[in-house]
Amino acid sequence: MPHPGWRTFSFEGIGTQWEISTPVEIAPAVRGELHKTVAEYDQTWSRFRPDSLVSGVSRGPGRITLPEHATALQEVYSALYRLSDGAMTPLIGSSLERLGYDSAYTLTPAGNPLAPPRWEDVLDWNGTELAAQAPVVLDVGAAGKGQLVDLLGEVLHQSGHADFLVDGSGDMLHAGNHPVTVALEHPYNPRQAIGTVVLDNAALCASASNRRTWGDGLHHVLDGTTGTPIDTTVATWTIAASALEADALATALFMLEPPRVEEEFEFSWLKVSSSGAATFSTRFEGRLFT
Amino acid sequence: MTTPLRKSLYVGFAGLSIIGTAAACAPTTTAPTTQTPATQDGGQAATGTPTSAATSSSTAVASTGGSTYKDGTYSSDGTYTSPNGQETVGVELTLAADKVSAVNITVHPSNPNTKKFQGEFAGGIAAQIVGKDIDDLNVSKVAGSSLTSGGFNEAVEQIKSKAK
Repeated sequence: MPHPGWRTFSFEGIGTQWEISTPVEIAPAVRGELHKTVAEYDQTWSRFRPDSLVSGVSRGPGRITLPEHATALQEVYSALYRLSDGAMTPLIGSSLERLGYDSAYTLTPAGNPLAPPRWEDVLDWNGTELAAQAPVVLDVGAAGKGQLVDLLGEVLHQSGHADFLVDGSGDMLHAGNHPVTVALEHPYNPRQAIGTVVLDNAALCASASNRRTWGDGLHHVLDGTTGTPIDTTVATWTIAASALEADALATALFMLEPPRVEEEFEFSWLKVSSSGAATFSTRFEGRLFT
Repeated sequence: MTTPLRKSLYVGFAGLSIIGTAAACAPTTTAPTTQTPATQDGGQAATGTPTSAATSSSTAVASTGGSTYKDGTYSSDGTYTSPNGQETVGVELTLAADKVSAVNITVHPSNPNTKKFQGEFAGGIAAQIVGKDIDDLNVSKVAGSSLTSGGFNEAVEQIKSKAK
C-alpha cells in the first residue's frame, strides 16, 4: 500500500493484477461497480475471448457500436497513428497473432512478421461507431489498460473517494492529497529500479518489452508498418493528466521521437534505449539514480 | 493535448554555494545558457509556480547574522537571442545563509518554433541508467513492464520446459 493505514483492494482483470489503494475501505457496492467496469471493458475489447464485441469484426467485415469511452480511445489512436505514419495502430492484433501472441497463447510464430492492414484501407472508426471492411484483429492494448485505470478512477470519484491510487500493474492514476513515490523498474532487472518519481494527481504509465517476451527477439511492442518487434527502445515512462494518454504515449515513444509527440500532447517522458541510455524531459530530471 | 505557453521549472540546488557577487547577480546572463536546455519540457514540468518576476526585484524576507547576502527570494528576467529571435527567461533564486536553496526558472517563448527547438534540446539530455535494488528503496509502488496474465506466464513456462 502506498501509505501506512491505507486499504488495498486487489483483483485480477483484463489479464493482469490490479490494486486500488484508498485511506478508507471501499464499500462492497463500490467494489461491485469496479468489477463491473472491468468486466464490461474486457467484454468490449478483449481479443482473447470469442464473445467480445471486437472479436465480431475479426471473423468478417461488419459494424459494431462501442461504449461511450471508445470516443476518447479513438481520438488518441487516430492522433498517434497519424503522427507515427502508421507505426502505432489498433490493427496490430493480426501481427501479434502472426508472431504467436494469440488467444490460445501459441507463442510460436506462424511465419515471418506481417504488417497489419492499413487503417485507411479497412477501418472506419468514428467515436462509438466502428466498421470493418475486412476481418480485422483489433488490439487496443497500447492504451486500453490506461483507459480502464481512468474509468476505475471515475467510479471512485463518483462514489466519494477523493484520495486513491489505482494501479493496473504499473499503470497508475493518483488523486488526492497524498502523493505517492513510485519506483521505475529496471528494464533488464525487475528486482531493481532506475529511479523514482512522485506521483501527485496525475497518471504514470510504463511500457517495456522485457517481460512479455516469448522467444528470441519476440515481444509485444510491434512496429505497425512492418509487424516486427521494436528493438531500439526497451522501456518508456510517461506522466500525463489521464492514464489513457500516458499509456498510449508510453507505447508511442517506442515508435516516435518525443518532440514529434510533444507537438500534440502535453506529457512528461523517460525513454531508455537498448544500450541503457536514458533520455528524458525535465519532469524526470534528477529522478534517476546515478 | 494543449500547449502551455508559459512553463516553469523548479530546480532544487540545495547546498550550492554562492561564490561571489557575480554569481548572485548574474542569473540574467548565465541562466539562458546553462538552464535553457533543462527547462524545455514537452509537458507539465511545472512543479513550481510560474513567476511574474519584475526585472531585478528582490523580496528579502530575513537575514541571518554573519551572512554576506540577505536571505530571501530574488528574481529577474533575462533575455537571449534564439534562432527565432529574442526570448525571455525568468529566474528566481532563494537564498538562505549564503546558499542557493532553490532556483525557479520560467521560460516564455514568444515564437512557437522555440518550443519545438527547446523540445529537441530536452531529448538530448542523456544518462546511462543505474539500477538499485527495489527492496532497498522506501517505495511501495513500481512502474515498469506490466505483469502478465497467468495464462501467458504458464504458456511461457510450458515452452521453456519443452525446450529443455
